[in-house]
Amino acid sequence: MSMMRKGTSNLLIAVMIIALVLAGCSSNSGSNSGSGSQNGGTSTNGGATEPPKKKVEISFWHTYGEADADPINKVVENYNNSQDRIKVNILGGQDATKQLTAISGGAAPDIVLTFWNNIGPWATAGAVMDLSDQIAGSGFDINGLVPAAAERMQVDGKYYAMPFTMSMASSLMYNKAAFQEAGITSPPETTEQLFEYAKQLTKKDASGNITNIGFLPDYPWIDNVFWPIIFGGSWYDDSTGTVTPNAEANVAAIAYQRSFYEEFGNDKIEKFRSGMGQRGTAQDPLLTGQLAMYIGWEYNFKDERAEDGPIGVAPFPYPADKPELKGSGMVSPRAVFIPAKAKHQDEAWEFLQYLMSVDTQVEFSIAAKVIPTVKDALDDQRLFAEDNKTMWSFYERAKSENLAGFPNSAYINEYLQSLSEETEKALKGTLSPQQAMDNVAAKIQPLVNSK
Amino acid sequence: MADRNPNAAGIRRRERKTLLVGLLFVSPWIIGFLIFQLYPILSSFYYSMTNYNLFRSPEWVGFDNYTKLFHDDKFYLSLYNTLYMTIVGVVPHLAYALAMALLLNAKVKGQSIYRTIYFLPTLVPAVAGSLLWMWILNSQYGILNMALEYVGIAGPNWLVSPDWTKPSLVLMGFWGTGTITVMYLAALQDVPKVYYEAAEIDGASRWMSFWKITMPAISPMTLFQLIMMLISSLQYFTEGMVFAEASQSTGGPENSLLFYSIYLYQQAFSFLNMGYASSMAWILFMVVMVFALIIFKTSAKWVYYGGDK
Repeated sequence: MSMMRKGTSNLLIAVMIIALVLAGCSSNSGSNSGSGSQNGGTSTNGGATEPPKKKVEISFWHTYGEADADPINKVVENYNNSQDRIKVNILGGQDATKQLTAISGGAAPDIVLTFWNNIGPWATAGAVMDLSDQIAGSGFDINGLVPAAAERMQVDGKYYAMPFTMSMASSLMYNKAAFQEAGITSPPETTEQLFEYAKQLTKKDASGNITNIGFLPDYPWIDNVFWPIIFGGSWYDDSTGTVTPNAEANVAAIAYQRSFYEEFGNDKIEKFRSGMGQRGTAQDPLLTGQLAMYIGWEYNFKDERAEDGPIGVAPFPYPADKPELKGSGMVSPRAVFIPAKAKHQDEAWEFLQYLMSVDTQVEFSIAAKVIPTVKDALDDQRLFAEDNKTMWSFYERAKSENLAGFPNSAYINEYLQSLSEETEKALKGTLSPQQAMDNVAAKIQPLVNSK
Repeated sequence: MADRNPNAAGIRRRERKTLLVGLLFVSPWIIGFLIFQLYPILSSFYYSMTNYNLFRSPEWVGFDNYTKLFHDDKFYLSLYNTLYMTIVGVVPHLAYALAMALLLNAKVKGQSIYRTIYFLPTLVPAVAGSLLWMWILNSQYGILNMALEYVGIAGPNWLVSPDWTKPSLVLMGFWGTGTITVMYLAALQDVPKVYYEAAEIDGASRWMSFWKITMPAISPMTLFQLIMMLISSLQYFTEGMVFAEASQSTGGPENSLLFYSIYLYQQAFSFLNMGYASSMAWILFMVVMVFALIIFKTSAKWVYYGGDK
């Protein structure tokens, strides 16, 4: 009798376990078929190539979050409505790690928008499709793009992505009231003037602590790309295959930044920094006058920099002995690329060309208040509408030939990281600028030689 | 009783049946272990001997990664940062948790309310808690510096000064010691009251009875907590990552927040050196093993297992 009961209960338990395992397995396979997307808005057709007449669905991933996604959603909507062959399914909030995971995991989307510095490592690793054939095949006009933006998409001379939009740091933004108070009538034109004005605009209290500072070269972050560009430096010599962070112009850029630290004192600056208001809020140091001058990007103080606003905008100063560098600045584009393992590469390329068309560029730039990368778009009259006035000077400055950026390569992240670390030491005075930059060269050259 | 059949085959059959049923019960865990733990562990060991960037097949390099690791400055820096958290963090946190447990063990009115309040912060997720603490530690608007100013101390620049970033993480750690306290409370309940009574009769002071009775009695729990905290502090990641975001660079001001796991993460996902990162993981494993072994071996001296003393 007890054996019987034991037998039945064992059976029951066994059935339960098997049921649990099956349930687990089936939900696994369910999620597998939907892997690579969260909201079910994606479908990369499982292996079947559609005949050209049928509608092809491609998946487009981008990095914009909920709040900023409207402009790009509009672009995709327009594209889907304008033709019948390709439907683009869009998925936002995909940061670089998610993109990397999807691409390496074999569930690659067809076209991806990401930050430009990912192109170097990912392309070298074989994850990104080389666009050379596509460009040649469709007669895409590469020269119609802003050179500084297009160059960032190249690795070893080949184009692996297109610059969809660009961000540009080439202006000096300043607090007009602070200028008036110090008796300064026009923004500085040379870097030497910038230094002098910074001294004039700095105020200290009775115990010598800084209450207002004229300019901080590493606010809000150490910019190891911007400064060397301003001084005419570069990072890689194609002819010798060597990295050149320690070239004269680069070192001069670091030394210039260090001069501010020497002038105002490490401790005093650090103390002042800790008391600075939160960037991007009403207590922003540039708005309150805590900071008088600031390296300006096109997305800073969009409203406050109106003609009658409290913030003034001017081209960033150039070194007095190099007037040919006037208009220099750094360009940081967003890249659109097609993963090497994407299933619908031709359709993705078609959509990519749409993204780079003048109309799309203009509409997106107006909606998102960014700078288009297509030269013809920069002249388009629609950009010069009254309510877009604070962007006009940026469109002009985007045409400067002195805009440049950091070279894309397999080791770009290590290079940038090393530059940040060594520049920090040079700014604090632990190392001389030359030593710091020599360290960078010593560290990165082996990577160049091996990769 | 009647089943005690001398038939050997019968016994074996029954034993096998019991074994099979047992295995069936354990099988989900075994499968999970094989797929999600053993396989990745072995793969990681394999990858640590290769150069692997995730997109191309791994390229065998033998012990190259390990040699490179020992020549890497940042490896030593990240080890130092992590060991700092372990050495400076673990013992004070344990001591604090024990002190709290002793307090919360006192029979006062509202004991359960105090215990609840004390335990609540542990329920806050790591990222949310870190973000909150970043505001508390803000040198201009944070309440910590405001409180210090009130007593006339100029609070340091907690989040920006390289000397203070790790101490501020240690400070934040005190907030989350709830689980340890709960465990200690359980251990304290287990201390036989007879000991205390005997000690009181013998005229021992509260201090003496703490050191001679309480501490030894809860030493197994202390050993357990020590090992657990050691393992988790050597893997310190989340809070350090959130704090570093504030200073716009992985690794924080002058890489003072570059913990071992964060450096591993950077190598793996920013630089795409999967092989190198895997070798880092194995080194960490060995470090943890060594520490744990040392603690275990010395534990015989100070841990008393029930009924000894």
